[in-house]
Amino acid sequence: MSVGLGTMYVFLYAPIFYVIYTSFAADIVWPFPLSFTVAAYADLFDSSLYGEALANSLKLATGSAALSTILAAAGAIGVLRYRSRRRGLVLFLFIAPLFVADLLIGISILAFNARVLGLPGNLYSAMAANAVQGTSFGFLIILAQLVRYNWDMDDAAMVFGARPWRCFIEITLPTIWPSLLGAYLISFILAFNNLEISFYNLGAIPTLPSVAWGSLRFGLGPELFALAALVNLFVFTVFAIMYGLMRTGLVKFGYRGL
Amino acid sequence: MSGLGPLSTFKRNPELRFVGLAGPGAIFIVVSLLLPLLSIVVFSFWRTESYELYADWTFDNYRTLLSEAAYRTFFLRSLITAIIVTVVCMLCGWPVAYFIARHGGRYRLLLVLALAAPFFTGAILRITALQGLLGPIGLINMALNVVGLAPIEALMYTQLASGLGLVYLFVPFMVTAIYLSLVNFNFELLEVAKINGARPWRAFFEITWPLNWIGTAIGMILVFIPCLANALTPRFLGGPDATSFGMSLSQQFGETGTWALGSAMGVSLFGASVLVILCLKPTIRLKRSGFTGAMTQ
Repeated sequence: MSVGLGTMYVFLYAPIFYVIYTSFAADIVWPFPLSFTVAAYADLFDSSLYGEALANSLKLATGSAALSTILAAAGAIGVLRYRSRRRGLVLFLFIAPLFVADLLIGISILAFNARVLGLPGNLYSAMAANAVQGTSFGFLIILAQLVRYNWDMDDAAMVFGARPWRCFIEITLPTIWPSLLGAYLISFILAFNNLEISFYNLGAIPTLPSVAWGSLRFGLGPELFALAALVNLFVFTVFAIMYGLMRTGLVKFGYRGL
Repeated sequence: MSGLGPLSTFKRNPELRFVGLAGPGAIFIVVSLLLPLLSIVVFSFWRTESYELYADWTFDNYRTLLSEAAYRTFFLRSLITAIIVTVVCMLCGWPVAYFIARHGGRYRLLLVLALAAPFFTGAILRITALQGLLGPIGLINMALNVVGLAPIEALMYTQLASGLGLVYLFVPFMVTAIYLSLVNFNFELLEVAKINGARPWRAFFEITWPLNWIGTAIGMILVFIPCLANALTPRFLGGPDATSFGMSLSQQFGETGTWALGSAMGVSLFGASVLVILCLKPTIRLKRSGFTGAMTQ
């Protein structure tokens, strides 16, 4: 069985390792023996197109993640703290975006914006579009930690005269901030790397995934390998940090020895 | 401090607090997801002419989809591919999730994170990586080239390559969904079954599988729906005979600008997804799962 498990990881990671390895090679078609070069990375950093795309992707991801985290946090707290007949409906609404394909979200928001709202595609509509998916993921992440939160602490604070907002800032937030951070990071990564949702809503504004897509249409090039290696490195670093925090118990993210 | 005016009543009423907190998110999703979906349903009955939508109510778009062989082929191809990919993901994912849940021990978190991480690097870069390994100038084919053998035809721009790419993209979803279910599963039940004389496979089919059906079903839905709509993978890994419904859909909103037909295609896609969810929903009985509800803890 462990052989099966090993096969799965080899299957998932072999392409990634090969890409990272080849990004340092002069000949990307047959990089053996390896003639080490960082030309691909140099080209990538010199390119103004990739630079502009990176800036746009960062802006898009930051805005989208901020919106997602706020909506998801408010939603999770509302659902868990206060009893309401509409709880089921709200839960359904927050989880529904996970079951709609990216492409469908992208084109439907494009059509809606263009024809009903009369808005042209721009960075902000793309932020809102990505926030739909981000809110869902964030909701689940925050929910996972929030179910173990003891609301009696809030009640105690209220007994001592704290208004709800102060109670949130001084008691709830210091306890649940890891889940908010986790939700932010995940939404950020999702929006940063998203092609289908953003593409239709951005018009001519380049983002990293759309530039990569445009480049891939002409075939594999060395700068694509370099880009893939960098993004993989970024994602794995974030996950490694999160894992380290969870393992050493420094920050919980709702993890209780799964 | 707390006064007796209408504002403080508002603030003290839990129902209103609920609406105030969960409301913005819910409204946001209604406006950003449900309304757009509704609008493409409306647009699917309209007409496109020279890149403009005209509100002439007509069934023409649906008639085109049903009558023209190309669209039927694309849809069936996407449907069958999605079904096969879902089944393959399930067959590959179950052993992996089971092993991690049962025998992972201290490394469970690491193993699960390691499995989930690749998903977040984005579809286009993962396809790039796959092409780097499997593509015509990729590692495998070039290795064969160097040794003097012919490249593997079946891996270059075929439906098999496209299917393999889809499995590569979505297997982490399946494993995570099944794993989250298995984490709440009480493995001691299997010990009881063993004591009572059940062989391992019987124990699996009569105990493990049914109690974790929710996880499996969620995994299937999470894989099937994006697979059905997938446009990137067939485009880059598949050949001319691997054109998918999603690819054709994106063309309607891109090159050809025929939004009405594209909306009709979108509605068909969404309808197929909802159909799958409705088919699976009656099979899910919450009480039969090991999930006792985290909120009651």
